[in-house]
Amino acid sequence: MISLQSFTGAKRAVFLLLAILAAALLVFPESRHGPLQAVGRLMVATVALPLRGVDAVNSGIEAVWSRYLSLHQVREENATLRQEIARLKGDSARLREMAAATDRLRALLELKERLPYATVAARVVGRDPTNWYRSIVINKGRKDGLKADMGVLTPAGVVGRIVKVYDHLAVVLLIIDRNNAVTGLIQRTRDEGIVEGTEKGLARIKYLPLLSTVKVGDQVVTSGLAGGLPRGLPIGRITKIERREAELFLSAEIEPDSDFSRFDEVLIVTSPRETTGSSTPPFPVRPGSPDRPDTEALR
Amino acid sequence: MKYVVYAALVLLVVPFQVVLADRISIAGIHPDLALVAVCLIGFYIGEVEAVAVGVAIGFMLDLFSGGAHWGNLFLKPLTGLLAGRARRNLVNLTPKVALLLLFGLSIVSGLIMFLLKSLTGAGADFFAAARGIIFPQACFDAVLGVALLLLIQRWTSARAPLAATSYE
Repeated sequence: MISLQSFTGAKRAVFLLLAILAAALLVFPESRHGPLQAVGRLMVATVALPLRGVDAVNSGIEAVWSRYLSLHQVREENATLRQEIARLKGDSARLREMAAATDRLRALLELKERLPYATVAARVVGRDPTNWYRSIVINKGRKDGLKADMGVLTPAGVVGRIVKVYDHLAVVLLIIDRNNAVTGLIQRTRDEGIVEGTEKGLARIKYLPLLSTVKVGDQVVTSGLAGGLPRGLPIGRITKIERREAELFLSAEIEPDSDFSRFDEVLIVTSPRETTGSSTPPFPVRPGSPDRPDTEALR
Repeated sequence: MKYVVYAALVLLVVPFQVVLADRISIAGIHPDLALVAVCLIGFYIGEVEAVAVGVAIGFMLDLFSGGAHWGNLFLKPLTGLLAGRARRNLVNLTPKVALLLLFGLSIVSGLIMFLLKSLTGAGADFFAAARGIIFPQACFDAVLGVALLLLIQRWTSARAPLAATSYE
């Protein structure tokens, strides 16, 4: 046990000394603190080294943490930006598709307005389910006034004719199918023939007069003599003339004006007779050929 | 349940082939999904059901095809019948055998279709049809059919209980 008396005596002396020292430090001017500062500097110098070490570690940890937070933030930002890019790409593709559809529909509408025949617009919903025929399926049918044998066209030219009609669908046999045949004529020479499809996905005009002056590049149009296609609609251009010995007629290969792999909308001529009383022809007439339609207007 | 699957098959195969023909085509030739479906039914179930489904699918195909005659109505059940009869004479339907059978049946179907078309239509060049339609479509049908067959085999083996393979 510690003696209360001895504790009181020794402690009192120490406390008294400290109190005097503190009072002296407070009371004395700063210039008198020299020895104290010398001791302090020594201690600070001793402590400075570990302090710098701790500070360096702290700074390092802080930097790593900060970098981690930044990376985390950047990663989140990156993910958000990627999502934004994907959304914008989708928007862009959709807008491009809409713009293309608008162009196509505008061309179809212009053609519909220019044609003096009653027409119905339809969308292509499918292709022939077999590889044996070249046909398309459209989304209009009997309920929309369509009948078999009606002519089908696009702003580029003739596409084909309807072969099967259901209530809300119809099957159109393309002019490039071998089983299709429409009456056509060479626009320049006025020679008439029958246009039918070939194995190569092109068309051919047969039964042209042997003395015909047809040449490569001539435009072939519908003659309007039979079927549901009115006169003067462009079919294609002559690419090759076939003259065979001992044959009474000429035939020529045609490259169709329509691109059969890429149309989405078509017009069906529901009445090949003119329905408007307009005196202007359906297509601009070239000088010197009053009954000759200018197919450039359809392009 | 089986008849529901058949009805779904009949109702879906043809619209799928009409609408998505372009998307599943290679160089302008698409597989005959109806032929593949009928053959697989013939291989797995039997000729009677393959013929019945073939009639329904063939009829649907002809409705949407540009052809004037009913070639598929006759050909698809015939293909189903041949597939079913071929299966009866086989001990094991391996992918190689299935590939050959599908290829052969597609070729037979293509040749008959060519004959029908050339007899009733505007005539056709055999070599052009063989090179452009019959042979590539047969390859396409065979590969697609075997892929579907493998999928079906995997699916059925996953569903079969392990004890079924034991004689004990």
